[in-house]
Amino acid sequence: MEPLSAIEIAGRIVYQLSPVWISLVILYAASIGFKRRLGLYGKLFDSPIGMIGFGLVMFWVFTGVYGAMDMIITHDPLSQLSGMKNKVPGTPLRNPEEGQYQWYLLGGDNLARDVFSRLVKGAWEVIKIAPMAAVFAFMVGITLGLPAGYYGGRLDTILSFAANLILAFPVILLFYLLVTPEIVATGVPNYMAIVLFVFPIIFVGVLLNSRYYTRPKLRNWMLPLVLGTIIWFYLQLVSNGGYLINTPEYAIWGLPRAMDMFDIPGGILVVFVSVVFVNSPTVFRIVRGLTLDIKTRDYVAAAQTRGEGPWYIMLWEILPNARGPLIVDFCLRIGYTTILLGTLGFFGLGLPPESPDWGSTINDGRKLLSIYLHPALPPAFALLTLVLGLNLLADGLREESLRD
Amino acid sequence: MSKMEDYDGPILEIEKLSISFFTRLREIPAVMDFSVAVQPGEAVGLVGESGCGKSTVALGVMQDLGKNGRVVGGTIKFKGRDLAQMSRKELRGIRGNEIAMIYQEPMASLNPAMKIGKQLMEVPMIHEGVSEKEAYQRALEVVTDVRLPDPERMLNSFPHQLSGGQQQRIVIAMALMSKPSLLILDEPTTALDVTVEAAVVELVKDLGKKYGTSMLFISHNLGLVLETCDRLCVMYSGEAVERGSIHDVFDEMQHPYTQALFRSIPLPGADKNSRPLVAIPGNFPLPHERPPGCNFGPRCDYFEQGRCDQDMVIPMSPVHGNDRHETRCLRFQEIDWNAPITLGEQKEKTAPGKVVLKMENLKKYYEVAANALFGGGDKKVVKANETLSFEARESETLAIVGESGCGKSTFAKVLMGLETATEGQILLDNRNIEQIPIEERDTKTISDVQMVFQNPFDTLNPSMTVGRQIMRALEIFGIGNSEAERRKRMLELLDLVKLPRAFADRMPRQLSGGQKQRVGIARAFAGGARIVVADEPVSALDVSVQAAVTDLLMEIQRKEKTTLLFISHDLSIVRYLSDRVMVMYLGHVVELGTTDQVFAPPYHPYTEALLSAVPIADTSVEKEHIVLEGDIPSAMNPPPGCPFQTRCRWKSEVPGNLCEREVPPQHQLEDGHQIKCHLSDEVLERMKPVIKVAAE
Repeated sequence: MEPLSAIEIAGRIVYQLSPVWISLVILYAASIGFKRRLGLYGKLFDSPIGMIGFGLVMFWVFTGVYGAMDMIITHDPLSQLSGMKNKVPGTPLRNPEEGQYQWYLLGGDNLARDVFSRLVKGAWEVIKIAPMAAVFAFMVGITLGLPAGYYGGRLDTILSFAANLILAFPVILLFYLLVTPEIVATGVPNYMAIVLFVFPIIFVGVLLNSRYYTRPKLRNWMLPLVLGTIIWFYLQLVSNGGYLINTPEYAIWGLPRAMDMFDIPGGILVVFVSVVFVNSPTVFRIVRGLTLDIKTRDYVAAAQTRGEGPWYIMLWEILPNARGPLIVDFCLRIGYTTILLGTLGFFGLGLPPESPDWGSTINDGRKLLSIYLHPALPPAFALLTLVLGLNLLADGLREESLRD
Repeated sequence: MSKMEDYDGPILEIEKLSISFFTRLREIPAVMDFSVAVQPGEAVGLVGESGCGKSTVALGVMQDLGKNGRVVGGTIKFKGRDLAQMSRKELRGIRGNEIAMIYQEPMASLNPAMKIGKQLMEVPMIHEGVSEKEAYQRALEVVTDVRLPDPERMLNSFPHQLSGGQQQRIVIAMALMSKPSLLILDEPTTALDVTVEAAVVELVKDLGKKYGTSMLFISHNLGLVLETCDRLCVMYSGEAVERGSIHDVFDEMQHPYTQALFRSIPLPGADKNSRPLVAIPGNFPLPHERPPGCNFGPRCDYFEQGRCDQDMVIPMSPVHGNDRHETRCLRFQEIDWNAPITLGEQKEKTAPGKVVLKMENLKKYYEVAANALFGGGDKKVVKANETLSFEARESETLAIVGESGCGKSTFAKVLMGLETATEGQILLDNRNIEQIPIEERDTKTISDVQMVFQNPFDTLNPSMTVGRQIMRALEIFGIGNSEAERRKRMLELLDLVKLPRAFADRMPRQLSGGQKQRVGIARAFAGGARIVVADEPVSALDVSVQAAVTDLLMEIQRKEKTTLLFISHDLSIVRYLSDRVMVMYLGHVVELGTTDQVFAPPYHPYTEALLSAVPIADTSVEKEHIVLEGDIPSAMNPPPGCPFQTRCRWKSEVPGNLCEREVPPQHQLEDGHQIKCHLSDEVLERMKPVIKVAAE
């Protein structure tokens, strides 16, 4: 069979991505149709920059999700087909089997795997880790930043010092330390996970209790229900194969296997923990600063004079009014996390070597860059567009939240 | 660029000016068909409520309307030349040189990173290209002119080293550096304390005469305009509604809005029981929801259907017999302007009940470490409250009067339990509460003592519906057993403050300032408060709304027998609504007595100055002019002896250096009237009333 021309490649890629296009069109049509009723999200569609950014982000989100459902990919991202090593984009398979896609749309890498399929699968690696890591970083940052800003004094000094300490530590060195097998064997990442993932429980618990303690009837069934669910998820998250910590010397029992619905592979857990760990001090600082500003407002004084507890004031009077800058920072932070994940993959830290994530693929492609450009270029371009999209989205949100 | 050649027509001539702002959704007309002329040496006042377009006019004159503002009709002529026709270069030559502007917030008008001297010298150096030496000489001259002490040191300091009053004087000095022909003052004293305001106004008036500058004075305060201006232009919803000389407009007003405005401000003689204020009904129309015909129509007492609301622009018509007096009213010749005010419902004066709250020798000191980081070094003590003693009775209004830094907010904090007292006691129903912080107070105590805050835009949580916020207060105070009960009670509270029930589901940003303040009041009364501390509850509101909110407070007080502690610096409103007045200065109570006692001689010298400083919008009132020199001393570093001795004009009447050595004792006069002053009874006897209402 003939190799595909550039136009044919483009046409076929666009066709492969058709579920993504359809989803984007539906999303945009619905959002623009109802934009006046959608608050800040709706206003986003008044700003061209925000719309472009949101489009780029959602493109990769849909690609990642459908890719994970095996909808877009043309080949298995891990299988190697003979004769396809380092082949240029559009090369037909040498011996296509029945029902097999006949081309490597973006060529093959140095292990003869399909670059296009790996690209699509790589999107899922980012989409499943980056937003969650940002959410956890925010939980930690908010839960510590609010009291630091609200109470001030010694608590603030200690927490800010700790934050500065973490920020002053070279990030890459920290990652190298965390993924070193010797350190992993001591269970340090697991301990960190146990500590860091507790914060959402504290956050939600305090959030609900501070508001609903005045209505005991509602609180008494809602709080155990919500907290129970979260704690269950927490235990599933931190316990692996029935153990919280499993080192050669000792082990700590965790959730029994029967109740453990999912396990996080060790590599991903390390990546997750380290990303949350280095991101939360920055969030802490932002939240602390906003709290310092907002706590001088009259509505905070009004809450104090009617005898509200400090956590109600922090979580229900201050936090909702700090949301503007926090939403913007959240978008930017997903972008940083994406880059951080790329960096980790590039250095081969944490994730398994055959993982299709963009950082690893760029690193693989880099070695033959002067001869074969095509394995490294698509993931690099993908990383660039996703982060660009997130930054534009943040810009759009900032612009729109300041208007009117 | 040098000044324009001599010209003897009007300095500024605005004719049929219309300015619109263009937003994503629509065009918003901010100013419509606006004309005014400023003659050489004349001061013209521009009065109106917020949102009426007065600042837009000023920006239009400066040709600085921003990205989405545009002049859509009419002309602005400066010395006969149309500003719209000028090039950017010509405009640059005029701005800051021929036309200077003074803004409301002095700190925001000065560059914080530049020394005062440099900022002043820049003006002639840029506009006239004079040498540095000459510019310095001029700066020195002008700073002396604005009566700042030690001009050379002033020129060598940074803006943050000066007080607010001094900063505003520097801004005025900067405006005068180039000897402009027109000075635009946009609410120049709103951010200042009353006594400082009086001094700045005095200064502006004198300088206007000395330099022969024409002025456009923008203000919401009719009293200030009366004191400073020759002519006046009243604006309402983007239009000039009445224009004329001060005396014509004040004494022979010809527009219903002007009349309503005057009736809603507390002038001497108004009284909450026998002659209550008349609030203007309804709300200010939004710029894109103006009614057809007369903009004031829907709120006007003289409204005539079919005539006032026909779809046409109502022209300005001249009032015959007066000098350049015009009004935008179709019916002004039919209205009997001298008809007596139909008196509102007269109310019985409520007798104060038993003592609810008692303060005895309350002291609040703060310790400030000299070195904040390491806590070492000398500790400085800030005496925020010194020996406060007074009682407040049921259904009584006690006004607490004083300027910034007098300790009234600290006192409120101690009373609310946000701080604990250093010494002395607070008795609520004969229970000591001064050492119980708010976390340890029981719900009853907390709901008994509540507060209404000053800034309506800050008093409600912007991300919670109005109803939810009131219901939260009910929840905290343990009122109602279910959501439904609390919701019902919340709706009743909305009725109490005269807000439509539909507001329960609105967000605070959808409400106007006055409406927000009403919600704040509803929230304070949620737990059936018996003592309400109102911290300047109306000072940030427009005059027409002030009257309505004040009346509401009075009405609720009458109904609920609340003790109202009304913190304010506005003596007109204090005189109108309070039963007793307490005047504070630098943490001391300098005078305490019933309203009549405090407002009539003998005064404490500070009260006397305060009374003289408050602008009164009534041409028949004569005031004695007392201008306090200098600024309020810092509470960190109070003067020795009497706190007021640095600014007191009666100091020479006290023998020896008593004022500088000793804090005066509480001087008891008749009927519980007390004054903290060294002045002897004979001297106090000699004091004359500050405010005199001339015989008609």
